[in-house]
Amino acid sequence: MSESTTKLKSYCVGDFLSTENLDRADATVTEIFKVMFGFDIKAIEFPNSGLPSPNLDERTAIVGFSGSMRGSCQIRISVIAARSIASAMLGGAPIDEDDDSINDALGELCNMLAGGWKNGVPALSSKCELSPPTVISGRDYKVHTSKPSAKLSRQYQFDAHTLHLTLYRENVESPGE
Amino acid sequence: MKGTVLVVDDSAMMRKVVLRILKMADLEFEAALEAGDGNEALALLRTNTVALIMCDINMPVMSGLQLLQQIKEEKLAVGVPIVMVTTENSEPQVRQAILAGARGYIRKPFTVDHIKNNVKPLLAT
Repeated sequence: MSESTTKLKSYCVGDFLSTENLDRADATVTEIFKVMFGFDIKAIEFPNSGLPSPNLDERTAIVGFSGSMRGSCQIRISVIAARSIASAMLGGAPIDEDDDSINDALGELCNMLAGGWKNGVPALSSKCELSPPTVISGRDYKVHTSKPSAKLSRQYQFDAHTLHLTLYRENVESPGE
Repeated sequence: MKGTVLVVDDSAMMRKVVLRILKMADLEFEAALEAGDGNEALALLRTNTVALIMCDINMPVMSGLQLLQQIKEEKLAVGVPIVMVTTENSEPQVRQAILAGARGYIRKPFTVDHIKNNVKPLLAT
């Protein structure tokens, strides 16, 4: 059994889907929004389907996990919300709708969320690496991931906007790994 | 604050955020240089004197740790405090950064107080 598989055993699917992990995700989101943007953000207890609205311009940022856990951290928000985050990061400076800094800010946010979350998991902290962020923009698109074995989804409300956070943990115990 | 600060980060947004928070922490330098990757940073350090380097760890092309090694090898910015800015806070990463020559470490997200407590003292020595 390889070292990475051994480490993975110490952070199983059950741990990934646990209430503790959900609380960890909530705490990471709350801290980053408060510290970096000055926004109060709250988890939505009775969220909608979480499916993208086909008529709404949206952005999705993705940061991949590799090493002792493979998967990704994805966030999805409307362009208006992304613009609001970019502006808050710059201390309230106005941002144009087509400004590149919106994608940059969203990528950084996803990077901080992914890093903040995995740093809170002792089994992953130093054994799991992050990929550079990727940002997708448009309407009515779908993001496909490779055979996730576990998915943790959460919606949050901040400043009249909704943030969708999804953590994927891929099944790395397939043959050949 | 006299001198020049160099901020190295592949995110232009984060470079602006770092400069804004330095200013809020009363660390506004006479001049600021920005580099989007390690090669740009090395080119700037070969032709400029800086008083502080704020450097991201996870960057494409050349990581922050590789940049630290290169700075050491070329004997650039000798005695200049280098502070790593990153989402990583694992013990091995911190140890590696310190061994490679970093004097401090700031984890994202960071506040004005984090900068005051972790960066300001490095400039007083």
